[in-house]
Amino acid sequence: MKYLLMIYDNPETRELFFSNEGKSLMAEMEALMNELRESGELVSTEALADPPNTRTVRAQNGVPVVTDGPLAEAKEHFGGYLVVDCESIERATEIAVRWPSARFCPLEVRPIMDTGATDG
Amino acid sequence: MTSQPEVEHLLRELAPQVLGSLARQHDRFDACEDAVQEALLAAATRWPAEGVPEHPRTWLIAVARRRLIDEVRNERARRRREETVARLEASDRSSVPGPEEDRPPEHDDTLTLLFLCCHPALTPTSQIALALRAVGGLTTAQIAHAFLVPEATMAQRISRAKQTIRAGGISFEMPPEARRADRMRVVLHVLYLIFNEGYTATSGPHLQRTELADEAIRITRLVHRLVPSNGEVAGLLALMLLTNARRAARTAPDGSLVLLADQDRGLWDRAAIDNGVALIACTLARGSLGPYQLQAAIAAVHAEARRAEDTDWREIVALYELLERIAPSPVFTLNRAVAVAMVRGPKAGLELLATMDGDDRLARHHYLEAVRARLLDMAGDAPAARHAYRLAARRATSLPERRYLESRAARLGSPGPAPQSARSAPASRAAPRG
Repeated sequence: MKYLLMIYDNPETRELFFSNEGKSLMAEMEALMNELRESGELVSTEALADPPNTRTVRAQNGVPVVTDGPLAEAKEHFGGYLVVDCESIERATEIAVRWPSARFCPLEVRPIMDTGATDG
Repeated sequence: MTSQPEVEHLLRELAPQVLGSLARQHDRFDACEDAVQEALLAAATRWPAEGVPEHPRTWLIAVARRRLIDEVRNERARRRREETVARLEASDRSSVPGPEEDRPPEHDDTLTLLFLCCHPALTPTSQIALALRAVGGLTTAQIAHAFLVPEATMAQRISRAKQTIRAGGISFEMPPEARRADRMRVVLHVLYLIFNEGYTATSGPHLQRTELADEAIRITRLVHRLVPSNGEVAGLLALMLLTNARRAARTAPDGSLVLLADQDRGLWDRAAIDNGVALIACTLARGSLGPYQLQAAIAAVHAEARRAEDTDWREIVALYELLERIAPSPVFTLNRAVAVAMVRGPKAGLELLATMDGDDRLARHHYLEAVRARLLDMAGDAPAARHAYRLAARRATSLPERRYLESRAARLGSPGPAPQSARSAPASRAAPRG
C-alpha cells in the first residue's frame, strides 16, 4: 500500500533546516531517506520551493485566473513529500515520526487510492 | 526460429531448475541468482533469433556457471579467494550435465528455492519480489511494472533480500521437518498475495498486473505437484482457480466493478471452475481441513450456482462458521453476516454486525459499513442504507470500490428535499438554506 507523507513547514523551520545549524538535521534526514531507499520502501520524495514561488490557479466561470503567491506568510505550509510503499499505515506513521521536521511541524500520512478491488 | 512468448514461457519454466542446480552446488545464493538472471537475459535475446538450443537447460546452466565463475574470479582479484575458484572450476569440468541429463532433475529444487525466498527473516514485500524473480523467472523490470513501483525500488527489495540471506548465513536446503509446516504457511501466504495483487487489478499496466494472477497459479500448481498430499496447497490452488474463473465477469465494459452477486455467470470460465471444484472436493474428501481449503469450498459453492439466487447460503454459513473457528478474522465474520442475512433475513445479519461495532481492526476500514449498507438495503431502509454507503465510500482507499459504493448510494435516491442547487454544489460549499 502506498502512502503520501505530507511534510509541513513554517518560515522558521525552513530557515533552520537550510542554515548551518540545520546541517545535523539534514544529515539525519538523508540517513532516513537512504534507509528507506535500501529497504525498498521509498517510491519518491521531493522538497518544494518556498511559498512565494507559487502560482495559484482558479477557473472562475470558465475564465482562468492565475495569481502569484500566496505571498503572505502562512503559519504553516506544505513543504515537501515522500511517497512510501509499505506494509501498513502503522509503518508509514513510524517513518513520519522519525522525520526530523516532525519535532517542529506536523506531517500528514495519507493513503494513496489504489486501483485494486475485490468482487467477493 | 522460436517466437518470443514461447521462449519466455520456456525460460520461466527452466529458471528455478537452473537456479536450483547452481545453488545446490555453490553456497553463494546471491551470486547464483545474479548469474542465472544474466543467463536468462542472454537466452531471451539470442534464442528467438538463433533458435532454442537442443538442450536448453544444459545451455542455461553452463552460461550461468560461466558467469558465476567470472563473478567469483573478479571477487578473487579483490579478495584473493583462490580456493573458491579452484573448487568452482573443478565442479565446472566434472559436473556440467551431459545432453542426456537435460531433463527436469529427479529432485526438484523449486520447493527448496521457494522456502528460501519466503524465509521469515525477509519482509513480505521482499519475499514476493524474490520469489517472482528466482522461482517465477520474471525480470526486475517486469515485477516493478506489475507492482506499480519504480524499477530502482524493486531492485532494492531484491538486493536487500539477497543481502539478508547472505548475512544471515541462510543456506539453500529444505527446512527441517519440524519447521516445514510453518514455513509452508509463509510460502502459501506469499503466493496468495501475488495472486491477489494480480486478480484485484483493475487498471495500470493491465497485462503485467493480471499476469501476476497467472504466475501465482503456475507456481502454486508446481508446488501442488511436488507435495500433492498437502491439503492447504491444493486448497489454495483451488481457491485461485475458482476466483480467477470470474475474472472476465468482474468488470463491466466501462471498467467499473461488478460484484459476485451481479456478475454475468455466462462469462465465468467453466473449465477452470470444474478444475477447481474437482480439486477441492477431492481434498476435502481426504478429511483435510484448513483456511485455504474452506475458502476454496466457499468459492466452489458460489461457482456451482448457475444463478445468484440458486446459491446454497446455508452451506456458506456453515463453512464460514468453521473457517472462523480455525482462523478467526473480522472479515470472515462480515462475510458470514451477508450469508446469514441471505438465509435468515437482513435483520439477523445486522444483529451480527452490531456485535462488531467496537472492533478496532475494522474501525477505519470501509468494509463494515459497506456490508451494513447492503443489509440495510435488503431490509428496505433506503435512507439508512444510503447513509452507510456514503460512509463506506468515504473510507474506501480503492478508486473502483469508492465508485461502486457511490453508485449504490446514488441508486437509492437523493437525500431529503434539499434544493437542487445545494445538492449539486461541492459538499464543502453547500450551505444549509432556509
